[in-house]
Amino acid sequence: MNCNEAAPLLPTYGDGELDPMQSAEVEKHLLTCAECAARRDEQVALSARIKRDVPYFAAPPSLRSRIDAVLAGTRGTLRSRPVWDRWRWLGAGALAGSMATVLAWLMGSAVLEWRDGTDLAAEAVADHVRATLSNHLTDVATSDRHTVKPWLSARLDYSPPVQDLSGEGFALTGARVDYLEKRAVATLVYRYREHVVDVFVRPAAEGTARSRSPVSTVRGFNVVRASGAGMDWLAVSDTSADALTAFVARLARGDAAP
Amino acid sequence: MEVRLPDGDARSRCAELVLPHLNSAYNLARWLSRNDADAEDIVQDALERALKYASGLQGTNAKAWFLTIVRHTCYDWIGRNRPAELVPGDGTDAIEAAADPRPTPEETVIADADAQALLRAIAALPVGFREVLLLREQEDMSYRDIARVIDIPIGTVMSRLARARGLLRRSPLLHSVLPQSMRTVGK
Ligand SMILES: [Zn+2]
Repeated sequence: MNCNEAAPLLPTYGDGELDPMQSAEVEKHLLTCAECAARRDEQVALSARIKRDVPYFAAPPSLRSRIDAVLAGTRGTLRSRPVWDRWRWLGAGALAGSMATVLAWLMGSAVLEWRDGTDLAAEAVADHVRATLSNHLTDVATSDRHTVKPWLSARLDYSPPVQDLSGEGFALTGARVDYLEKRAVATLVYRYREHVVDVFVRPAAEGTARSRSPVSTVRGFNVVRASGAGMDWLAVSDTSADALTAFVARLARGDAAP
Repeated sequence: MEVRLPDGDARSRCAELVLPHLNSAYNLARWLSRNDADAEDIVQDALERALKYASGLQGTNAKAWFLTIVRHTCYDWIGRNRPAELVPGDGTDAIEAAADPRPTPEETVIADADAQALLRAIAALPVGFREVLLLREQEDMSYRDIARVIDIPIGTVMSRLARARGLLRRSPLLHSVLPQSMRTVGK
């Protein structure tokens, strides 16, 4: 791939919307072309500035009371309390976005056919939802990886690598122990912008190759898997698949990565 | 916690599905109308429309469905109140015309001049470019979902996004962090 071919693909590549084949080609070109790499950096910088500096306007309380009034008009159709009350308890704040998605998931799952599969991704999403809804995301709440790692090691028969990637937008907020496929597993909890990201880490299954991370979507949550640094990694979040994929790939590269 | 819903009640089911996206709805309305009070009117109106057409909510993507309605409501509002903003074009001229010289309320609380400049440059983007950019950058929506909300082909999402980013990069607002008057002081 040369510059003329790569340059028009850069925005799509940056948005994580390029197919894996083309993505790999663009990546290869970026390694050897300073000009295109600079264009890519400029786009990343602009996106980062928008995310950081441009205000996100959350619905103000005045709107919420107006919505209550609208819904009061539909109260006859609601069996118990107004819809609003049912999720007001979740409160505002940084978690609101994720909470909302969790609820959408629950509501969706009640409405639509939801096969309670044994699939790993579905199980991980169920863990994520349970932790979020019970407001118990972490058993140990700290951004200090030197606290998280021994805490997990004491409770598991392995010692997962723990990294704080605040510099890349993923701030470690703590950890908990979950169960996946009937085995205790380390769950690292990160905050990425307004999203919660759960990362399940367990020793790599025998013979697992270092693979490209497969992405799936379960009830509106993105689930991304990767293998690396001797571990299998599985991340669940309502943030975008591209952000999650980059993050998991970064974790799977391990500490020693450049 | 009670999660089972009353059977066959499209309205309440609809409310349950779209209310979690109230912040996204307000943010979109606020950015398209550039006004707090109008954004509230728009979202309330959109919710009423959504409840009315509740049976149209199918599948899982309540967010894209609700934002489609919010966006339609915004455009109706803009058509009534600021029809000039809907004049088609590539937006190159409009970017200056649309820039309101007065600082917006949020600008006054942002101390960082660069951040203010970016905010004003985005607010000054023609509405068709502003919406694509914000759905992508703030809502992290996929090209496919943006295409659904705006009802345009994915190729058009890509070209508008490229145009929006290009306009931002070249925006005079972004490069003149200091007002002209301050730069010429002391000459
Ligand atoms: Zn190149």
